[in-house]
Amino acid sequence: MAAAILSVLAALAAYPVVGTGYGVRSVQQIFMWIALAGSWNLISGLTGYVSFGHVAFFGAGAYAGAILVASAGWPWPLAALAGGAAAVVLAVVIGYPCLRLKGPYFAIAMLGLNEVLRALVSYFEGLTGGGNGLSLPTLDASVPIYYVMGVLAVVVTAMSWLIVTSRFGLRLMTIREDEVAAEAMGIDTFHHKLAALLLSAVGPGVAGALMARDQGYIEPISVFPLAITVTMIVMALFGGKGTVFGPVLGAAALFVAQEIVWARYPYVHPLLFGAIIVGVVLLMPRGVLGLLQQRYRLPRTI
Amino acid sequence: MLGQVIISGILSGALYAMVALGLGLIFGVMRVINIAHGPLLMLGSYTTYFLYAHFGINPLLTVPIAMAVLFVVGVLLQRGLVFRVVDAPELSSLLLTFGISIMLVNLAQLAFTSDLRAVEYITGSWLVGGLAFSKPRMIAFVFAAAVTALSFLVLKFTRLGKAIRATSQSREVAMVCGVDVGRIHMLTFGFASALAAAGGALLAVIVAIQPEMGGVWTFKSFLVIVLGGAGNYPGALVGGLLLGLVEQVASLFLTTQLSEVVAYVLLVLVLLVRPSGLLGGRQT
Repeated sequence: MAAAILSVLAALAAYPVVGTGYGVRSVQQIFMWIALAGSWNLISGLTGYVSFGHVAFFGAGAYAGAILVASAGWPWPLAALAGGAAAVVLAVVIGYPCLRLKGPYFAIAMLGLNEVLRALVSYFEGLTGGGNGLSLPTLDASVPIYYVMGVLAVVVTAMSWLIVTSRFGLRLMTIREDEVAAEAMGIDTFHHKLAALLLSAVGPGVAGALMARDQGYIEPISVFPLAITVTMIVMALFGGKGTVFGPVLGAAALFVAQEIVWARYPYVHPLLFGAIIVGVVLLMPRGVLGLLQQRYRLPRTI
Repeated sequence: MLGQVIISGILSGALYAMVALGLGLIFGVMRVINIAHGPLLMLGSYTTYFLYAHFGINPLLTVPIAMAVLFVVGVLLQRGLVFRVVDAPELSSLLLTFGISIMLVNLAQLAFTSDLRAVEYITGSWLVGGLAFSKPRMIAFVFAAAVTALSFLVLKFTRLGKAIRATSQSREVAMVCGVDVGRIHMLTFGFASALAAAGGALLAVIVAIQPEMGGVWTFKSFLVIVLGGAGNYPGALVGGLLLGLVEQVASLFLTTQLSEVVAYVLLVLVLLVRPSGLLGGRQT
């Protein structure tokens, strides 16, 4: 297992040397989706609290990073970390009121968060450029960003593994299975949920800032689209929510499928994503990896 | 100025109350938050647009037709998909209705394109004592108030309404008393979809129609439920009026962009200060 993972990582590390520009960009996108789907999985897959607005953390990171690069002249790696920090701050602001309660409050609050951020970004034009967007100084850093995005994907996945195999992860899953029982067993459910949310906000924040640097230009509609949330949810669900490698599997499989097949039918593509969500929830709630785990008695911690 | 704000607030508040009552009923009876509630409202708008544009039917007459159509859609959705997750963890029902909502929006995009549609029926305002009563909003208010009142009468006095309330209080006890709970779930979902459709049909003469118009209505309906207290049906009325008033007052002081944020801030504040709703809901 470890040898397989290491050889895959080594191959990916060597890839930019031989790959085309398009290939490098595509693999970098897969890294980004792994980081996003894996992060969504940390809060929603483990605690059962569905986030319908994870793109808000992505967009917050993108704007924080872009503003620091464009206005304050920060180097982009530092700005990427700051993007992660900005997303964490946002997660505290939103998680504190909404996670104290059981029930759908968090899900709906996240559903609206995206629109709110988009409105705020458009309003504070002086800082964000408003609807005109924000341009970053030109810089060709696609290979360094490839590596940093790759590291981010590895870090998010490693973090998932550490959490799933720890007592902290067990407590999160207890909350998912029965929150009242978790409380009765002495778990501080609020702070555990909040911690899971903060951890799940870091990845999208960093990824957003990296994406902003890579594209060189961001605007409200490009970094706050509902489609990004939908895609990460579909990827995590399809691969297997609550597992470590499910989001990795889902991100890689669906990204490739999207590039090869669905790119030809752009209008059917979001419809298919909705159908996959419905299908997975009804027919295989544990996703592909969950099915494999059951059938071949694989360990729970993959 | 203040009088105008209060009137505008009440006019839109009745619409909020009616649409939110649908979401609240589904939540009360099935413990499911229907993310697809807004997209169902959008389908109601398109039903009105279609009947008006192709058959020249008076938009006001399309309200009951849209309600009937969406009642059927709601029943089919419940029978086909939603009933499977009624007893599942919340995660499943939220994700399922989220998936349904994405499908509905994109189906609408395929069928009707993203072009903005409008039903031009009545425009202008009545002026009474220096206050302007927007005609389409006034008509929407009268319809919404009537539908909401009728819904409350049904809930309060009919056998069906009693069965719905009993099921939302305790499904097991309702079952023991001979209520066919599966049937009640189905009818409630259909009824709730019809309420959303009524909202959509009335909105069709007020705002532009497009496939993504519904999203914000899921959110606002939920906010109304939280304001009034979950599980407290008359609370929807209070919550709806309150939301309408707060939005109108906010629009006095804020730019259009920021007034969209007001509903959100309101939700976060209520969750912080009075999570059980202003009237106090039934704790679940």
